[in-house]
Amino acid sequence: MRSCAASWNARERRGAILAAGCPTGAGTLSSAARPNTVIEIDGLSKRYAREVFALHDVTMRVGRGEFAFLTGPSGAGKTTLLRILLRQEVPTAGRVLVDGRDLAALGPADVQRYRRTLGFVFQDFKLIPRKTVFENVIFALRILGVPDVQQRRRTFQVLKWVGLQHRANAFPLELSGGEQQRVAIARALVNEPVLVLADEPTGNLDPDLALEIMNLFREMNAGGTTVLVATHDRELIHHVGRRTIALDHGSVTESA
Amino acid sequence: MIAGLTYFVTEAWASVWRGRSAAILSVLTIAIAAFVLGLFLLVAGHVQRTVDQWSRSAELSVYLRDESTDGERAAVRNVLRATPSVAAVEFVSKTAALARFRKNFPELAPATDSAADNPLPASFEVRLGSDQSAAAVERLSARVSRMAGVADVRYDRRWLDRLVSLGNFVRWTGLLLAGVLVLAAALTVTNVVRLSLYARRDEIEIMELVGAPLSFIRGPFVCEGMIQGGLGAVVALALLRVALTLSAPRLSALAAGLFEVGRIEFLSGLSVAGLIVGGMAVGCLGGLVASRRIH
Repeated sequence: MRSCAASWNARERRGAILAAGCPTGAGTLSSAARPNTVIEIDGLSKRYAREVFALHDVTMRVGRGEFAFLTGPSGAGKTTLLRILLRQEVPTAGRVLVDGRDLAALGPADVQRYRRTLGFVFQDFKLIPRKTVFENVIFALRILGVPDVQQRRRTFQVLKWVGLQHRANAFPLELSGGEQQRVAIARALVNEPVLVLADEPTGNLDPDLALEIMNLFREMNAGGTTVLVATHDRELIHHVGRRTIALDHGSVTESA
Repeated sequence: MIAGLTYFVTEAWASVWRGRSAAILSVLTIAIAAFVLGLFLLVAGHVQRTVDQWSRSAELSVYLRDESTDGERAAVRNVLRATPSVAAVEFVSKTAALARFRKNFPELAPATDSAADNPLPASFEVRLGSDQSAAAVERLSARVSRMAGVADVRYDRRWLDRLVSLGNFVRWTGLLLAGVLVLAAALTVTNVVRLSLYARRDEIEIMELVGAPLSFIRGPFVCEGMIQGGLGAVVALALLRVALTLSAPRLSALAAGLFEVGRIEFLSGLSVAGLIVGGMAVGCLGGLVASRRIH
């Protein structure tokens, strides 16, 4: 099983990165200039066709170091919102700020730099099947230009944190669903993200594994990382007990 | 930098190997184009060498009247020697001309024996410099032909120029044909790389999501095209070498009649390198076009 989260808490992770002299994400604001709100959305709308709104006048905030759930039935707009936050989609109207960046103002190179400050976890894991577990995780560091030794050290650390250091040389398809999701979480965290976005991360897992994955998110959040998880699993939300932002038909219906 | 290149090459090679059946198609297409280009380069090279050889021995023959005086001959010699485009002047007496004729055409020698007088005229054989212009030679020819004691002036450069034109025609036809084939090869590489891109679309999406730079995502695909192009050129050169070796005896006999070269030779090192680099450039172009879809 996975080792305890204390083996690599946020302070240690950040310390390792600073010691390596590596960027935690190009363009990240200095701590003094960082806003207290990581996600700041005002009047966001996304229209795909005439009068077909995926999101309509959404306004919401997620504070730094907060763990929030984005919930709602299928078609509520959860995935669209996450895609906008990942800058895979551009809003039709409204303003989206993430860690002080206005996503609408980002050019192509800025988008790349911005994404390096994020972590993402999807229901379908999004692992590269022909690469080993280790290669899947280290890949996110390689593009940051982290020195080789640091890349390997940090990858082992994060794999140890999710309890998969012994499967480092396995390929994704040799792992169970839960293990694959833990690899995806390791990859999401290895680059010290400001914000981790997860879209139905437990959708393919049984309840026990789902709880285990949620515990990883909680531990990640305890280390200081802001986490936004989209799920329609009310029971899981109840069990974890964090703030919930509910969407329905593209609009926020509840934020508690 | 080196780590990045290693990553590109490793990823590209793995991709070529995974999609080898499609890769073979584009390698063969490039090989055909490079083979045709190489063949024309080979022929054009031999034509050029022959032309060069003949150019070096291009001559203006000034035939003298039998009754020309020593003074007239000296005047002609002086004019020729004073001309900048003339490299060398050699006097061939009637006797020397006959001896050369008998040596070169032994089967016709008896005919000259039966003749009462030596029918061959004395002449000046003028070797022209390789950089002389046709107009300058024409002027010299016209001037000398009007001089006293001169029977005729023959200038064998005209048909050599025609041969040069023919050689150029062959070269340009070859280049045009190879150009069309290269275009077809580039399109094939583009489509094969596109297939590979499609097969790896999930991987590309992941790379985009982690914020990989475009060069990092596109690099392996461009490199994949370059590998295919380089392999195609190498295959073409190998085929050309084998074809040349197998047909060498027949070709040498043919070449002896066509070209004044001892034997058929393979492409120069520069041409070989040029074909390989060209193949890689075509592949690179195909890879670039295909990977422009990633943005």
